[in-house]
Formats: sequence, structure tokens, C-alpha cells
Amino acid sequence: MSCVSPESRPDWKAYVLRELNPDAAREAEAHLAACSHCHEEVATWRLTLDTLSTLREEEIPRRIAFVSDKVFEPRWWQRAFIPTFASPTFAAAALVAAAILVHGAMRPGQAQVDAAVTKALSQVEARHTREMQVMFEQLDIREKQVRNFSLTSAALIR
Amino acid sequence: MIFREVEDPDLIAKARRGNVEAYNLLVSRWEKRVFNYLLRLVSNREDAMDVSQEVFLKAYQSLPKLDDPARFSGWLFRIAHNEAFSLLRRRRPETSLIGESRPAEALLESGPRLLPMELSLAVETALGRLSADQREAVLLKVYQGFKFEEMAEILECPVSTVKSRLYTALDLLKTSLAPMHKETAR
Repeated sequence: MSCVSPESRPDWKAYVLRELNPDAAREAEAHLAACSHCHEEVATWRLTLDTLSTLREEEIPRRIAFVSDKVFEPRWWQRAFIPTFASPTFAAAALVAAAILVHGAMRPGQAQVDAAVTKALSQVEARHTREMQVMFEQLDIREKQVRNFSLTSAALIR
Repeated sequence: MIFREVEDPDLIAKARRGNVEAYNLLVSRWEKRVFNYLLRLVSNREDAMDVSQEVFLKAYQSLPKLDDPARFSGWLFRIAHNEAFSLLRRRRPETSLIGESRPAEALLESGPRLLPMELSLAVETALGRLSADQREAVLLKVYQGFKFEEMAEILECPVSTVKSRLYTALDLLKTSLAPMHKETAR
């Protein structure tokens, strides 16, 4: 079989350069299997590419390297604007900042704090007063007991 | 890829944060390819070396402008293309060391059995006969393996123009390298 018209032939340069899409490549291969003329053309293109591939790759005369010099380092403001959102350090810092902000937003006002302190102090004072009263009552009882004991002892001595 | 612990986009991210060592590693991965591309374009080793240095410096300074780190290679070659053609425009009329090499021309004319080095020289000569645009299309496609769409981005022209330049160049190369085909097929 041979090609009827050049227009009906696949783009053989694109084929050997692997630029045809999979469907077009399959069609081209089917055509190639049945067309001796195109088979020969593709063989010539492959040979041309093989010949081109014999070009030696040159070694670079000297390495290109950048030293760790201030000249090559970004300025502080450039570094500040470089996105670092993905780093774990940034994530941790962001979490702490958020916690501080939430805590700040939820913190009671100074008047509320003062009232709470006054209430707590009055409770403590009331408790102390009750304890002092109990202690004085017990002292009175003891004093009476000691007095009674002394009177009893004096009577016995007499 | 098995032996690459760090991919290019990772190195680009580190280089953007001011890590010069990361950028040096990136350079070491690409310098040979860029140098060879420039060498075939400007046809002079010292110029290719100087332009390579310039390309990597400009790339470093422009790294923050690189939108997609996955497309670093095309972006880098676009810088190389701009630098090379800037040089070629400055030194018109085009001087080509390849073109001046008469013994290499003779290799293309005659077809004796060639050594690999002679074959390479013959290919170099055939490439040197192309226009700069045609040669660049061959370099990007055949030697650097870019797709038509990527080449269009690098060269800032339509895909149809890329194909036109490349196909014309391949037609010319097929003719000029025909005597070498027997050597390649051996």
C-alpha cells in the first residue's frame, strides 16, 4: 500500500518527536504498518534524529556557584513577605497568637475583678469572725471551769 | 528520581527564603544543560560560560516572580533564550566558530567512515548552518526534550511558529546529514 495523497498522511515529524496525542499516534502506527512509502520516510527521520543524538555534550569549563554572601541574600523586608505559612514553626506561633487573642477577648473587665476580690475578702473576714467567736466562747467556758476547780480545791483545803 | 531526595520545587522554596546552598544545588542540576544549550546558540565557549553565569544570577534575582515552581525548567530556558539573543544582537554580524571550521565542513561533504568525535563535529557543523531561530528550535526539542507548548512559552511565539521553524530545520538537517546516516546505522 502507498499513500493516495500527502494530505492524508500523518504528521511523521510530530510522530517521531512524540508530539502526537495517543489516538493520533495509534492511527499513525496503523498507517505505518500498511504503507511502505511512509515506513521508509519514518525510518529516515529516525536515522536523522539518531545522527543528531551523536552530538557530544560538553562539560562546563568551571562550576557556577553562588557564595553565601549578603549580596545574594534577600533583605529583611523581602524575607518578611515571603510566605512561610506551611512551616510548623509558623503554625505553632499562629496557634499561640490565636490563643492569646481569644483569652484577651474573653477576659472580664477590671470592675468585675474588683467585685470578685471584695466578695472573697468579705467571705474570709466573716469566717475569721465566726472562728474568733467560737474561740472566745471556748475560752470563757475554760475560764469558768478553772474558776470552779479553784473554788472546789479551796473548799477542800479548808 | 530515586536518588533525588529533594525535588526542584523544594530547593526553589528554600532558595526563596535566602538559602544560597539550596540555590547552588539547583544550579548544579541545571548548569550543564543550560551551558550546552547556550554553547550551541552562541557558538563560543567563553560567551556561553559568561551568559550561563548571567542566566543563573538573573534567575536567582527573579525567583520570587516564578509563579509555578513545577515549571522552573521552561522559565529558566526562557531567561537563557533572552540572554543569548541579547548577546547575538549585540555582536552582529553573527560570528560562528562552527561556521569557520572548514575541516568540519569537509566532513559533511565526504562520507568516509567517521569516528564518534568526527560524527559529533559533523552534526555541530550541520547545526551551525541553520539560522539561530531554527537551531534553537532543534536544541529545545531534540536536546532538551521540551514539548511544543513549552517551546512556545520559552520563545514567546505561537506553537505554529515553533513547528514551522523546527520542521524547516529538520528538513535541512536531513539533507545535510544524509551522508552520515550510514555511519549512524552501523
